[in-house]
Amino acid sequence: MSLTARGHLATALLLLPALLFIAVWFVTPLAQLFQLSVSDKAGPFAPYAQLLGSEVYRRVFVNTLWLALTVTAISILLAYPTAYVLTRLKGWWWTLAFYCVLFPFWISVLIRTFAWMLLLEKNGPINRVLLELGAIDRPLELLFNAGSVHIGMVHVLLPYAVLPIYAAMIRVDHRLLLASDGLGAAPLMTFLRIYLPLTMPGVTAAAVFVFLLALGFFITPALLGGVSAITVAMLIEQLVNERLVWSLAGAASFILLAVIFALLALAARFVPLGQALVAR
Amino acid sequence: MITRRGLMQSAGALSLAAGLGMPAFGQARPFTFVSWGGALSALEKEAFMDPYAKKFGIEIVNTSPTNNAKLKAMVEAKAVEWDLVDVGGRTIFQGRDQDFIEPIDYNIVTNAKNLDKGWVTSHGVFTATGATIIAWNDKAYPGGKGPQSWKDFWDVKNFPGARGLYKLFYYNYEAALLAAGLKREEIYPATDEKVKQAIAKCQEIKPHVKVWWTAGAQPPQLLSSGELAVSSAWSGRILDALKEKAPIGYTYKDGIAWGNAYVVPKGTPHKETAMKVLNYAIGEEAQDRLLAIGTYGPVLASSAAKATPEQAAKLVMHPSNAKDMLIINDEQAGLYMTKHEEAWSKFQLG
Repeated sequence: MSLTARGHLATALLLLPALLFIAVWFVTPLAQLFQLSVSDKAGPFAPYAQLLGSEVYRRVFVNTLWLALTVTAISILLAYPTAYVLTRLKGWWWTLAFYCVLFPFWISVLIRTFAWMLLLEKNGPINRVLLELGAIDRPLELLFNAGSVHIGMVHVLLPYAVLPIYAAMIRVDHRLLLASDGLGAAPLMTFLRIYLPLTMPGVTAAAVFVFLLALGFFITPALLGGVSAITVAMLIEQLVNERLVWSLAGAASFILLAVIFALLALAARFVPLGQALVAR
Repeated sequence: MITRRGLMQSAGALSLAAGLGMPAFGQARPFTFVSWGGALSALEKEAFMDPYAKKFGIEIVNTSPTNNAKLKAMVEAKAVEWDLVDVGGRTIFQGRDQDFIEPIDYNIVTNAKNLDKGWVTSHGVFTATGATIIAWNDKAYPGGKGPQSWKDFWDVKNFPGARGLYKLFYYNYEAALLAAGLKREEIYPATDEKVKQAIAKCQEIKPHVKVWWTAGAQPPQLLSSGELAVSSAWSGRILDALKEKAPIGYTYKDGIAWGNAYVVPKGTPHKETAMKVLNYAIGEEAQDRLLAIGTYGPVLASSAAKATPEQAAKLVMHPSNAKDMLIINDEQAGLYMTKHEEAWSKFQLG
């Protein structure tokens, strides 16, 4: 056996536990869910036809995708400079800043969502401070609209965007930036031609993480959103818990999954997703 | 510092916790009662479960929250962990139609004959009552002069301010039709025509509805803070908030009364005990205890009649309140909720 073949065998053996784990705990339940989705009395694909044929459900899907997209864009725009600052900090300041990024991870999403309700409400602290300062004449309507949903979701998802971008940034060889500088490039040119392309895999990974997580959001839009803030996750919850029609819920889950795969495949044509997601 | 080891430890703790949460199949487990949590679970434990356990010397585990999907799933998986479950009325009929709850054994549940017929069904019995009522912020309408009917609720000229309504079609169907001037006896059956009329009426108030609430805790909080001027709300939650002196007013007039129903999951090993506990819960001794607790009221009229004037004011089923209320028809509600769910979603999206 050649050395490389042995290497491959070792790799395969090392991967085996992970593959088994995924097969038992992910692929099998997914197959069961699919079976459920085609088990409707009205025919195997009746739930799919009902969901795709309905203008209402189609709009829920479009709403969800649009929400996930805008949340992803805002998260990346905020995370990029944050991650950059993290790479420049040293010692105690670095630890403090890192804890600030990670700390929200340890607080439940539900509690953070309720906290935003208290902060943003009509007589809440934000409106009171603005009124005291004379910046506004009457309380702003900060809650129960697209704005509050975005604030709540970005807050939850920001760490997922900061960390991959930070990881890409610390791998950048700073001598390249010095070389660019030495060759007479303006700082903006150095950023656009050297730093941004080198950190792009991190940005892509961050965008994929945030987008996928945002697609499944349920509590935050339900509590902070207005009446039309219906996401696919909320729809599925209602089908599972209220209407108890699990074939429809299963079908909605699979349609969402198919949309995600299609979008990832599309994205992979433009950015090297594999490179972004595989840690080296 | 955040370390790799720390992360691994927390991941390990998580999987361990998940492992401990797994049910121990095949073991004899104690009788398990499930309810929604909060004021309701506290009341049921104090008034029904603890006294029964003491009287008959059995162990009763009280747990929460109720979850319809979980109930259906455990029956289908033949791994029933719950023996008696407090559900919303609609679930009785869903459970009957989808065959995941037992029919009530009226040879054991003999106390049912003393209840009003509306509280007794083939697959479930109501044990306590509450209502979806109109509640308001005291500053918005001082001196207790809040909306006294759903017609007033819809009247934004005389009662200005932001409104709150329930997110689902439930309660809103009834409230809208009452606001449209239908008489209580005309609300059911829920014909397609009436559903259309209800949604059209909701369309009228929609620009003034700031919050479509999903959790019972929301209305008291949003009313107290002044975010909303007036909202539909569950009576027990409002009474509970008032115990803590929340600046809220309410009326039972035009309220939509409902009950909490007990059902028995199909295939429970404790079926007979479940029926006995249910029978105890609707008996006079247990029902009398609900008066003193004062959040959700008795279903048994002879217990409700013993209320002091102060207690009576809070009782949904006391004649002085009941005469101004509509009792929800959960079978009909189940119908309009499933058949017209898409139309309701469309109304909300549009």
